[in-house]
Amino acid sequence: MALSNRERARLSLGIQAAIFTGIVVVLIVIIDWAAVQRSFFNLEPVMAMFPEVITVGLWNTVRYTFFGFIFGLIGGTVLALMRIASFPIYRWLATLYIEFFRGIPAILVFIALGFGASLAFGLNLSTLQTASTALAIVGAAYIAETIRAGLQAVPKGQMEAARALGMPAWRAMVTIQIPQAFRIVLPPLTNEAILLTKDSSLIFVVGMAGSAAELTKMGRDGITMYQAGMTPLVVAGVCYLLITVPLSILARRMEERSPAQSSRKRKKKATASTDSSGVA
Amino acid sequence: MSESGGSPEQMITDPAGVVIEDLYKSFGDVDVLKGIDMRVEPGQVVCLIGASGSGKSTLLRCVNRLEDPDAGRITVGAFDATDVDVNLDAMRRQIGMVFQQFNLFPHLSVLENCTITPRRVLKQSREQADAEALHQLELVGLKHLSDRRPAQLSGGQQQRVAIARALTMKPGLMLFDEPTSALDPETVGEVLAIMRDLARAGMTMIVVTHEMGFAREVADRVVFLDKGLVVEEGSAEQVIGAPTQPRTQDFLRRVLNPLGE
Repeated sequence: MALSNRERARLSLGIQAAIFTGIVVVLIVIIDWAAVQRSFFNLEPVMAMFPEVITVGLWNTVRYTFFGFIFGLIGGTVLALMRIASFPIYRWLATLYIEFFRGIPAILVFIALGFGASLAFGLNLSTLQTASTALAIVGAAYIAETIRAGLQAVPKGQMEAARALGMPAWRAMVTIQIPQAFRIVLPPLTNEAILLTKDSSLIFVVGMAGSAAELTKMGRDGITMYQAGMTPLVVAGVCYLLITVPLSILARRMEERSPAQSSRKRKKKATASTDSSGVA
Repeated sequence: MSESGGSPEQMITDPAGVVIEDLYKSFGDVDVLKGIDMRVEPGQVVCLIGASGSGKSTLLRCVNRLEDPDAGRITVGAFDATDVDVNLDAMRRQIGMVFQQFNLFPHLSVLENCTITPRRVLKQSREQADAEALHQLELVGLKHLSDRRPAQLSGGQQQRVAIARALTMKPGLMLFDEPTSALDPETVGEVLAIMRDLARAGMTMIVVTHEMGFAREVADRVVFLDKGLVVEEGSAEQVIGAPTQPRTQDFLRRVLNPLGE
């Protein structure tokens, strides 16, 4: 019997639903749920992690990431400007930096800073300094490419119009090109903040005092401390999600916001960022 | 046209003349300008006409050094535009430019588009810059839209804002690079009317255009460029009305009568 397209589609959907249901049923039957609960969701012993996991762990993760991101943003902007500079040596240096730090694992940078900095230069960096510097060094390489793409996405005529009005190059860059590029790169920058949040966990290779512990360190220590299997790691994971999921929702919102319908909303921000709210 | 309240009441205080001597420019292997000589007296309006690729936009962009000429000399008022030591930013403040694609700043309001350079570069107070910008916007008939974003305006309105923006810098010379080519036909007139008013007020203007009607009515001189050379120049009546060069005749026949009938 020949099937119409619609009947065929419905049949295919039905088969997929049946397979899926089957897999779920099998999983429910074969998984040792008691063991899963014991090792992953053994909540009673780990209640002792609170409130430190939030007040110390989450707080430190946010601090390390925040400073890493801010300095990464500054470094990344400088690198991006070097990448599009007319002086070739600037371009080569920036390309070298970006390729190097995007090409090596971030954990190497953490190790180099955590152990190497004191050996080589006698520097005694705090955990905050080590973590945020390492994140800034790595983040700058990625952020630079994002910002460069944003700068190049601003039409050439914008710079020409600004220069034709008599703005010096740096003024045109600061007043005209960067604000427009920044709006373009906000969603990808938010994604970069998510990546840095997760990378802040790499500080564990250096080790740290309890008061400087971030989420991953607390989760790992909790495994030996509470006899609750992997549950402390699950707690740490959920804490990461508390940071990253809102950021990712924010990024998606910004991506969806089309320029036409949001021009009113953006106005406040634009006038604030250029400090010229003189609207009649 | 009721919107455009532009009357030639504004006085152009200090119109600048332009002298172009033996100007050469190439992009890679392509020679775009091959020895251009041209004079524009203060207060004169010169229309540059010619086929696309004839070099007229490049010539215009050399005047405010958006393009660097390879050889030759340009002076604009007191500025030697081709001197290596010329203060380009100071020179460009004396030269307003209007682009085919308007190039308004989309992240700023109409008013801010007109005040950002006076405030940031000339260090004018907000009150002073706002007052001047609103005056210029009034002259182009758009004062009531000063808090809009460029994207909320029609093409003709955007181009009128672009003209007002250039005029807030009190230039002595205005360059127009095909100012009506990107416009819907029904908004061409409002832009041309403002340009005509500006010409009557005594502004020195160099206009790259395909609007032969505008050239005939407003231009003191028309210059026909072909393949990087000035082929014919003279009054609009001479060049458009009675061209003597075969290439000019051929170009005008195609522009004025596209179907060749």
